[in-house]
Amino acid sequence: MASRRRMLLKVIILGDSGVGKTSLMNQYVNRKFSNQYKATIGADFLTKEIQFEDRLFTLQIWDTAGQERFQSLGVAFYRGADCCVLVHDVNVMKSFESLSNWREEFLIQASPSDPENFPFVVLGNKIDVDGGNSRVVSEKKAKAWCASKGNIPYFETSAKEGFNVEAAFECIAKNALKNEPEEEMYIPDTIDVARERQQKSSGCEC
Amino acid sequence: MTSNASSSSFSDEDEESAGQKPKTGSIDYSPDAIENQLPSIALNTSIDEEKVSVADDHHEPVTEIARGSSREIEPERLISSTGESNLSTETGVWRNSSKVEVDGATSSPCSSGYAGEMGTSSGTASTSGADDIQELRNNSSSVGNDGEVLHSAQWVPGKRHVDEDDTCMSWRERKKHFFVLSHSGKPIFSRYGNEHKLAGFSATLQAIISFVKDGGDRIHLIRAGKHQVVFLVKGPIYLVCISCTEEPYESLRGQLELLYGQMVLILTESVSRYFEKNPKFDMTPLLGGTDAVFSSLFHAFSWNPASFLHAYTCLPLPCATRQAAAAILQDVSDSGVIYSMLMCKYKVVSLVGAQKAPLHPDDMLLLANFVMTSESFSPICLPRYNAMAFLHAYVHYFDDDTYLVLLTSNSDAFFHLKDCRIQIENVLVKSNVLSDIQRSLLEGGMRVENLPLYPSTRYGSLFHNEPSDRSQESLQPGIGGPDGLWHFIYRSMNLDQYVSSKFSSPITTHQHQKRLYRAYQKLYASMHDKETGPHKTQFKRDGNYVLLCWVTTDFELYAAFDPLADKGSAIRICNRVCQWVKDVENEIFLLGGGSTFAW
Ligand SMILES: Nc1nc2c(ncn2[C@@H]2O[C@H](COP(=O)(O)OP(=O)(O)O)[C@@H](O)[C@H]2O)c(=O)[nH]1
Ligand SMILES: [Mg+2]
Repeated sequence: MASRRRMLLKVIILGDSGVGKTSLMNQYVNRKFSNQYKATIGADFLTKEIQFEDRLFTLQIWDTAGQERFQSLGVAFYRGADCCVLVHDVNVMKSFESLSNWREEFLIQASPSDPENFPFVVLGNKIDVDGGNSRVVSEKKAKAWCASKGNIPYFETSAKEGFNVEAAFECIAKNALKNEPEEEMYIPDTIDVARERQQKSSGCEC
Repeated sequence: MTSNASSSSFSDEDEESAGQKPKTGSIDYSPDAIENQLPSIALNTSIDEEKVSVADDHHEPVTEIARGSSREIEPERLISSTGESNLSTETGVWRNSSKVEVDGATSSPCSSGYAGEMGTSSGTASTSGADDIQELRNNSSSVGNDGEVLHSAQWVPGKRHVDEDDTCMSWRERKKHFFVLSHSGKPIFSRYGNEHKLAGFSATLQAIISFVKDGGDRIHLIRAGKHQVVFLVKGPIYLVCISCTEEPYESLRGQLELLYGQMVLILTESVSRYFEKNPKFDMTPLLGGTDAVFSSLFHAFSWNPASFLHAYTCLPLPCATRQAAAAILQDVSDSGVIYSMLMCKYKVVSLVGAQKAPLHPDDMLLLANFVMTSESFSPICLPRYNAMAFLHAYVHYFDDDTYLVLLTSNSDAFFHLKDCRIQIENVLVKSNVLSDIQRSLLEGGMRVENLPLYPSTRYGSLFHNEPSDRSQESLQPGIGGPDGLWHFIYRSMNLDQYVSSKFSSPITTHQHQKRLYRAYQKLYASMHDKETGPHKTQFKRDGNYVLLCWVTTDFELYAAFDPLADKGSAIRICNRVCQWVKDVENEIFLLGGGSTFAW
């Protein structure tokens, strides 16, 4: 009954500026790609409805800017995230090396209840560039890093060609869902008039 | 890129805006005229100093108060004019900071782009909300009847326009939006449209609130052309109103407070604890099935003065009838009932409490919105009584309008309370209370045409009126009361109650009534403005009315007259209204005294 209801999943995309976060999101949500680079300053939000095992979900995707500036959103930005996507550009080593920082940053800011098992997904983007000849981060290297961080799922993508984007986000949604905590019973207090009266009367006898 | 609140056309929007139409008509700047006459109004109160303030309609004080400082955020507009541009680049609040931007998403169908694909904001301004048009149509038949009774009947409970989202033109054109979201930016409630489809929009609101919050500040208001965006942060719950109704900021903020109160009534405030434990906590399922409660509240914002007066009103009844009702409620309240209320729609017939603390009028409004079914027993929370805990409410409707509410702390009390109800019902039927209530609904109440001539030596009553009791001055019946009096609201300060005259010609249509309430609401806000007020009196003339407001420590009187009414006679009439209220107070108010209720 309660599990039949539609759920909203908050997904955060992190990574250095220019790795293709906004492009991946646009490719996934709108099936569009633009070569024009327009830096995201701050945050951008897209939503997408997905169906999974006969249930409807809404993905609320929070795109961020890689610049330090975006940190102005602070904790509020990360709060209540259901999944975190870490993106690097396979043609830029620096962007891969930054992944650790982004992961740390997320865990500190979002402070999820179970950091060990918080769902991350790593995307190695822009595999189309130069037919793969300018590539500096090998699949092996990326997978090794993912394995060392608790078997984070890894996808090689091209936002430009739409390669593997759908599959990656499907995995993101699944992982976000897995992380859903047990439904807690909602039980607020009931006013206990008798007790309140007692307390009052004992307090007033002075 | 100019947008100016006053530059828009009123076209078909006059229902909403004409009541506050600035600069039309004249403002009476001769304070001494009032000053000299007012002391004479004080028939039953003693006021010695009277300061008259003349309403300045041009200035609407909307200030944002943050950490003691006061500043106004006035970006050019919230809604941009092209698909390429967006909220962030054009609003001052962002431009100043230039750190946060909501970018890119403008051309996508699923995007949050409140800004994207929008026409111009004047497009929004010149088209009136479809729902209001609907209301007009529904109410065109109400002429000559008591409007307030009709509204409730015509109001369709439940959420409307559920399929809309922020990409729909119709959604953007709605005059007043309410949103509730969590501190992680997940939507909880939206007045119009589908919460899930509005997830991106909700995230945008969260970004705005959090950005300001992270700067150690608080956002209260964004003005964007005709639109006001009002924010209210209640711990992990964020409430936002986006409105182009020209209601004062204070009123909109008060409505957000009530909206929060309505949620607390349903869930208690301990819902915050769940957010603290788990920021992902989703409270939407807990609100399941309550759409009608919220739509009833939004409806009340436009027609129930209790929503801005923070006072309740009683059904006018002969003294003996109310006493009979109180007596039987008193009987059951000795058996573990905290509050017993006999209500007729949103009006109180009788109210008895076992405890010293009186029920707060806001709690009564929220409770009246909540009860709807023929018989029920459900946990509810009275935010002003104890926001953290539930009480249990037994509700039973005796007929379409009249219902009993018994509040207890005992969750097993259903059968006991049902027995109490049967007992109460027997007495109410036997002593004709229920039929008296129906009669009052039909013909009771204060009508401006019946305003008595004073000095009158006779003790007045609203009931058993002989023709001779009627005012000789009610010249032609059908054009209001004497000297152009159209309507009044009298609020007693120490009783927390108000009485409103029945609507009569020419305030007969729903849009007239709504406009008048909006005018009162605005008057109320300006009278209680912390910076320039509180004021004692205000006399205001515009194209629609002469409005006279008088505030003392004992009461507040709001009166509406024909726009051509003479000031001197208006003041004289206000005198008489106060005297009349005093004369019939036994029938229109729930008076303290006796052991029944400690006010
Ligand atoms: N060839 C290629 N270019 C891409 C790909 N993804 C993004 N880009 C380009 O890389 C630049 C930066 O992309 P953007 O999505 O704005 O990066 P962000 O800063 O991480 O949001 C843009 O010029 C994109 O067109 C990709 O998969 N392949
Ligand atoms: Mg970007």
